[in-house]
Amino acid sequence: MLAEYFPVLIFIVISLVLGAVLLLTGGILGKLLGHSQPDDEKASPYECGFEAFEDTRSKFDVRYYLVAILFIIFDLEIAFFIPWALVLDELGTVGLVAMFIFVIELVIGFIWLWKKGALEWE
Amino acid sequence: MPIYEIVFYTFSLVMLASAVAVISVRNPVYAALFLVLTFFSASAIWMLLEVEFLAIILILVYVGAVMVLFLFVVMMLDINVEPLREGFIRYLPVGLVVAGLMAAEFLLVIWTKSRFGPEAFPSPPPHPEGYSNTQAVGEVLYTNYLLPFEVAGIILLVAIIAAVTLTLRHRSGAHRQNPSRQVQVQRDERVRLVKMKPEPRQEG
Repeated sequence: MLAEYFPVLIFIVISLVLGAVLLLTGGILGKLLGHSQPDDEKASPYECGFEAFEDTRSKFDVRYYLVAILFIIFDLEIAFFIPWALVLDELGTVGLVAMFIFVIELVIGFIWLWKKGALEWE
Repeated sequence: MPIYEIVFYTFSLVMLASAVAVISVRNPVYAALFLVLTFFSASAIWMLLEVEFLAIILILVYVGAVMVLFLFVVMMLDINVEPLREGFIRYLPVGLVVAGLMAAEFLLVIWTKSRFGPEAFPSPPPHPEGYSNTQAVGEVLYTNYLLPFEVAGIILLVAIIAAVTLTLRHRSGAHRQNPSRQVQVQRDERVRLVKMKPEPRQEG
C-alpha cells in the first residue's frame, strides 16, 4: 500500500529541493552578485506609495471566526461520509438509517443557524 | 526496507523539532505555522502506519480547518509580542511542577516494558491485496460504533449552537436591505395623497 504513496514522497522531496534552491539563489547568490544599498526609506513598509496606515496585527472581526467554526463542523460531517459511502453496500438499510439520523441532527443545526441569521453578513 | 526507516526518522525529527518550536518561538503566528508542520509530519507518520484515511483527514481537518481557527484567534487577540516574556520567573514554579508531573507520567509509561516498546506492539500482519483502510473504518464505525457516531453528530450540533450563541452579535443600527419587503411595498405606504381646495393665485 505504501508503494502507492511513493510519488507523494517524491513530490515532497522535489518541492523541498526546489524551495531550498530558490531560497539559496535568491538569498546567497543574489547577495553575492547583486548590490544592495538599503536605506531607511527603501526598507520602510509602504502601501502603494503611501505610509502604512496601521499595523499588520489588526484585530479581526469575530464573524470570520464564526464562519471558520461552521466550516469545520460541516467539514467533519463530510469526512464521516467518505467511509460510509465505501461500505454502504454491506451496511444496507441500517447504514442508510444511521447516516440519515446523523444528517438530520446537523440539518437541524443548519436550519437553526440560518433562521438565527448567523450566515448574514449585514 | 531502509527507505521506510529513513522516512520515519526524518518525519519524526521534523515533528519533534517543530513541536519544540511551537512552544519556544515568540511570535504566535510563527508558532501556529510550526503547528501546521507538526500536524503534517504526524500525518506522514500515520501514513507509514498504513492508516491512509486518518492521515488525510488529519491534513484536511487539522491543517485545513483547525489551523485557520488558531490563526483567527491569534489575530483576534491582537497580541503584543513584548509582554509575553513578562512573568516568566513568576510562573516558573508552577510550570516546573506541571512539567515534572508530566515527565513522571511519561517515564511510568515508558519504563513498564510490558506495556510499551516494540515487544508489546508487534507489527500488524500484512494486509491482503486490495485492502482499504477507509473501508475498514467504515465497517466498524457504522455497526459496532453506531451510538458514538450518532453522539458525535449531537456534539457537532451542540458545537454549532455554542459557536453561534457565543459569537453572533447583531450590530445595532446597521441598515439591512430586505428585498422581499421592498418588492411587497404598497403605494399607500410611500405616497400620501392629500385632498385640498385649490388655493387662489398669490398676487405679487
